[in-house]
Amino acid sequence: MQTFLTALFTGTSHGAIYALVALGLVLVWRGAGLINFAQMGQAMFSAYIASTIINHHINYWWAFIVAIIAGGALGGAIDVLVIRPLKKKSGSSILSSPSMRDAIPVIASLGILGILQSAAGMIWAGEERGFPAPVSTLGLSIGKRAMPFTRFDIFVIVLIWLILIATTLLLNKTSVGLAMRASALNMEVARLSGIRTRSIRTLGWILSGSLASVAGLMVAPATNVSPNSLDLLMIIGFTACVIGGLNSLWGSVTGAFILGLTISFINIYDAPGDVFLGIFAILIAVMIFRPSGLFAKGKARNV
Amino acid sequence: MSSEAPFLEIENLTVKFGGLTALDNVSLKVPQNSVVSLIGPNGAGKTTVFNSISGFVQPQSGEIKIAGQKTAWPKTHKLAALKISRTLQGVGLFSGITALENVMLGSDHKYKAGIVKDLFGLSGRIDRQLRDSAMAQLERFGALSLADKFPHELSYPDTKRIALARALISEPELILLDEPAAGLGQDDIDELAETIRQLKKSCAVLLVEHHVDFVGEVSDQVYVLDFGRIIAAGDFESVKKSPEVLAAYLGGEVGHA
Repeated sequence: MQTFLTALFTGTSHGAIYALVALGLVLVWRGAGLINFAQMGQAMFSAYIASTIINHHINYWWAFIVAIIAGGALGGAIDVLVIRPLKKKSGSSILSSPSMRDAIPVIASLGILGILQSAAGMIWAGEERGFPAPVSTLGLSIGKRAMPFTRFDIFVIVLIWLILIATTLLLNKTSVGLAMRASALNMEVARLSGIRTRSIRTLGWILSGSLASVAGLMVAPATNVSPNSLDLLMIIGFTACVIGGLNSLWGSVTGAFILGLTISFINIYDAPGDVFLGIFAILIAVMIFRPSGLFAKGKARNV
Repeated sequence: MSSEAPFLEIENLTVKFGGLTALDNVSLKVPQNSVVSLIGPNGAGKTTVFNSISGFVQPQSGEIKIAGQKTAWPKTHKLAALKISRTLQGVGLFSGITALENVMLGSDHKYKAGIVKDLFGLSGRIDRQLRDSAMAQLERFGALSLADKFPHELSYPDTKRIALARALISEPELILLDEPAAGLGQDDIDELAETIRQLKKSCAVLLVEHHVDFVGEVSDQVYVLDFGRIIAAGDFESVKKSPEVLAAYLGGEVGHA
């Protein structure tokens, strides 16, 4: 029973982190129509910044806030400096084919990932750094009973649920959220309704960057920080989106929790070596039976 | 009325798509409180005129005056602020949000709400006002009960009503209607004609339409486009008799279109 509960709590806490990554990916996908492969590069970069601040003996929470701002700023900068100019060059012959127009920004995001990882290697000498957690990551006991979760698990779950709820409220209850949803649904009509779709898209990038940074800080105590430390998180987050459906916010979040639990149960009851087998089994099953995602409405996009 | 400057004035508008001249020296005026129609065969360039006004297309040359002021060709997202709104051919509702939210999006009041205010919850009052005025628009079209329905749950005439409500919530001075009668039955067309007559009291209307009887019924002024050129202009009766128009387009169809 204790083992089962441990697997359950660990899975939920990891699933919550994957959910942030997935949410960030979905926000950019809906706004800009591309998978931002640089997302966890941005998070890695801001985790290094946070780690540098903490190494100067400054409070964890200041580092936390700076990392969130840095992640958002990086996201916004990527949109304004790279993606926007790419979309603007519509006169060039290579961009005149629709498939290239879709593909080029994705390739650019891979390039940005490379640049961020190399830059982190140059600035911080690529060293692997330990990263503190804001609360204890050791097993928690209440009285004499050992609990099946740690303080950090609880912290992660509560923090991330608050963020998920706040994001949902922002999207569903505010005019900016309405503008974001409208731009994602139909860019032309949104502009006709007076929405500055470019600014709204940038806002999506900023939000996405900040969410990714939080996710990065939440896994850093376990993975340490190095230029490639978040690559795996990106793969899992992307898989979660595909499983849940890229167009569906809550679908992707649910996909993330499914993956978190699957990974955790395989880890504990089977062997860590089978984790990827499990992930790919789910992914392949979804691609066969519901190619547009478990919770997606409408048709699959042919990539 | 005639002493005032027309709300919209277009002079010598030329639009080319590559080697194809879509519009060739088109000039037209839309006086305040009037209904002006653009008619012509398919591909004559009617929608391109709309697209130029609403910033979807960049004209090669030509001038536009709005409320007597010469301005640059409008950017799409600035259109609402210029007091111009537009409906699209087909419907153009957002599919994933409710009818009410669709109408709310037409309002330019949302400029006043911003991300900062939103984050601090200060825009609640504006959001409520927006919601109220959207409800009022729906009521005007007898569509109050449709507020929480999604576009795919609505009948075609209802989606057109919602699209019109969205175009009107910003209280425009000029509304561009792109084939509003297309796909409607006679009852709905009669209702639409009545709506347009009401609209004329508060704004100018520029209409692109294939339904000739309907155009004759509501228009004060008709421009006929053919191959990107205006071949006739005037009131419906005189346009109908113009030999160029008869040759190019109306032919024997007048009266039973």
